[in-house]
Amino acid sequence: MFSIELLIQTLIAGVIIGVLYALMALGITFIYSIVKMINWSMGEFYMIGGYLQYLLIVEWLGADLWWVAVPLSALGVFLIGYLLEPVLIKPMFTTAVERKDDYAIVVTIALLLMLRNLAAALGGPYQRTPGSNLPTVMLGPLPESGARFAAFLCALAAIALFYLLLKKTWLGLALRAAAQSRIGAQTAGVDLFRLDQIAFGIGVGLAGLAGALLAPVFMVFPTSGVVTTVKGFEIIVIGGLGSIPGALIAGVLLGVVESLGASFIAAPYQNVYGFLLVVLVLLARPTGLFGERVRQA
Amino acid sequence: MAALLETRDLTKRFGGLIATGGVDLTIEPGEIRGLIGPNGAGKTTLVNLISGLYPPDGGDIRLAGQSLAGLKPHEVARRGLVRSFQVSKLFGNMSLRENLLLPALAQSGNADFVAAQEQATRFLDLTRLAPLADAPAKTLSGGQRALLQVAAGFMAPALKCYLLDEPFAGINPTIKDAIIELIEEENRRGITFIIVSHEMAVVRRLCRRVTVLVEGRVAAEGTLDEVAARGDVLAAYLGRGFA
Repeated sequence: MFSIELLIQTLIAGVIIGVLYALMALGITFIYSIVKMINWSMGEFYMIGGYLQYLLIVEWLGADLWWVAVPLSALGVFLIGYLLEPVLIKPMFTTAVERKDDYAIVVTIALLLMLRNLAAALGGPYQRTPGSNLPTVMLGPLPESGARFAAFLCALAAIALFYLLLKKTWLGLALRAAAQSRIGAQTAGVDLFRLDQIAFGIGVGLAGLAGALLAPVFMVFPTSGVVTTVKGFEIIVIGGLGSIPGALIAGVLLGVVESLGASFIAAPYQNVYGFLLVVLVLLARPTGLFGERVRQA
Repeated sequence: MAALLETRDLTKRFGGLIATGGVDLTIEPGEIRGLIGPNGAGKTTLVNLISGLYPPDGGDIRLAGQSLAGLKPHEVARRGLVRSFQVSKLFGNMSLRENLLLPALAQSGNADFVAAQEQATRFLDLTRLAPLADAPAKTLSGGQRALLQVAAGFMAPALKCYLLDEPFAGINPTIKDAIIELIEEENRRGITFIIVSHEMAVVRRLCRRVTVLVEGRVAAEGTLDEVAARGDVLAAYLGRGFA
């Protein structure tokens, strides 16, 4: 039954989940912008973020200190990515192989399988949740889950910090330069391999942050990153590969479309509405809403 | 006087093609050397070798006595050898000021941010691009882009030697003069230049000595008039039948 109240509640829910999905998409598009490689193991870093959040809350900190656990989980995932990149990704770009980025992508698929199976071996196939003590939040007359709303606010803060990093620091300047011309940045004195390592860490750290924030909302299990990864790639297609504003706007758009479809058409087909949006965008603008056409032939 | 930049037997092959075949080059500190030759002579390959974009297959490159062979381009830049590109590698979505700041901050981080800002302002004034300081570089004309690219190289903190690859190609006389003035100004401050160019009038004005590359080898060296008088150089430019 349609009502303005339901419409507003649906829009709010869509924006909240869309911003959280956008974190994932931001990580994917950021790594692609700098390293020029799609990281297919992003969902597994999301999953690790969820497990770290679960472990920190259940084993050490308790649910009241969730806000301490979230940055620690994201930092942990950053460090894992930062340490893995020079071991697994960098050699693909420094050794004498043809189609280096293709090899690197295959390595990320192997990493996906390894991390997923490692999680299953260490934690079993069980679904876990760190739980949340946060009370329901009233947005005007409309109730919203406290955990979901807190995750939304944290995601906004993280996006703001990410923006400041890119715009206000020399590291951000180097990252933006490398995204536009790797050779130009390198000959200006930027150590590209070090930058790749940092970018990979930040990108998977964003996925880990999304995993930590959504751990109390969705369950944590070895394949918990699959759905979010699919959403992340849908957002990239809608927003345009390599576009950071595109990732944010497309994330919100996808969240809203899925929520509206689930509320006013049929809830079981929630994922289908997102795919329909992807198809419509591809038909109207194959490079995505903010993507640029670079390949000529 | 000890050479600032030396290459010895510098060689690069692409499959069976010898793009650079045993090049010996000696550049004195404070010199402005012209590097000329017909299309396909290996000038840009030589610049790519010296600046670290291509690893050499043989020979050595030394800057102030230290070997650069095998170093990555950022390591070469940090040792004070900077290059520009024929097709500019500016960062179109970054402002002019940010384009200037990058070479300075890439090597010093935020530590020298204030000094880098002052330096960027100086070059924005020198190039008369100050009114556009905060505009994205992609809004510049081709000539302005060339000018900004040359100026950005001067921002490298340890700059000793600057390789300019066709800095005057396809730009109007006003901007050409601005680039020449910039080179002369920085040369007076002690910077050494190697300029790859087909613009003989500019080469004559700036370079006391030129090196002629033909088919990847040094064919002649001397003043522009000396090398222009040589039959083998004329033959390389015009073909054997015309020389």
